[in-house]
Amino acid sequence: MRIELFYTPGCEKCAETKDELRAAAKELIPDASWRELNALDELDYAVELGVVTLPSIAIDGNVVFSSLPNPRQFRRELRKRIGHR
Amino acid sequence: MALTIGKIANLANVSTDTLRYYERERLITPAAKSSGGYRLYERDALPRIRFIKQAQRCGFSLTDIRALLTLRAENRACCRDVRRVALEKKLQLEAKIKAMKVMSKALTNLIRECSGDARALADCPILAALDRANGLGRTAR
Repeated sequence: MRIELFYTPGCEKCAETKDELRAAAKELIPDASWRELNALDELDYAVELGVVTLPSIAIDGNVVFSSLPNPRQFRRELRKRIGHR
Repeated sequence: MALTIGKIANLANVSTDTLRYYERERLITPAAKSSGGYRLYERDALPRIRFIKQAQRCGFSLTDIRALLTLRAENRACCRDVRRVALEKKLQLEAKIKAMKVMSKALTNLIRECSGDARALADCPILAALDRANGLGRTAR
C-alpha cells in the first residue's frame, strides 16, 4: 500500500498529527510505503491525483482524506482496505 | 470624513450594488448609517474593497476572500496561512484546467469525426457521440 501525505511547509497542524498517522500505518501495515510530499514541490503530481485542499492523504493514488483524519479514522480506513485486499 | 456608498463606490470603481452584495456576503460593513438611513463608510474601507476585487480577479471565491480577510485580522495567523490558502486555490485552478483540457481534447476528437457537410441532424456524429456519452442511443428515442 502506498500512502502519500501532501502538506504545506510550516503547517503546524500537519506536524502534530502526521507522526501519529505514520505510526498507525506502520503498526497496521508494516510494509506500507509512507511519503510526505511538499505540495509546492510536487504541484503537478498533486494535481494529477486531484488534491485540492491541504493537507490531504492519498492512498494508492486516490485522495482519501482532504483534511487530516484523526488516528482512529485513519486506522478505520486502513483496516477497511486491508480487508479488501 | 465618512463617505457615502456612492462616493466610495466611485473611488473603488465598483457599483453600489456590488458594495451591497459584499455587505450581504459579510465582506464589508458600513461604519455607520446617517440619520436618513444611508450607509456611511470610513476611508479605510477603500483598500479592503480593492483587496476583494483583486482577490476575485485571482480566482478566489467570496468565501475564500472572507477566509483571507479573517486570517488577516487574526493575531495568530501568519503569512504561511495565507500561502496555504493561495496554494489550495492554485490546486483547484489547476484541477479545473486539467478537466477543461480533457474536455477540449474530447471536442477535438468530435470535431474530427464530423465532416461538416450538410447531412441531416439525425446523422450528426457530434450529437450522436454526445448521446452515447449520456448512455442514450439516438435510435432509442
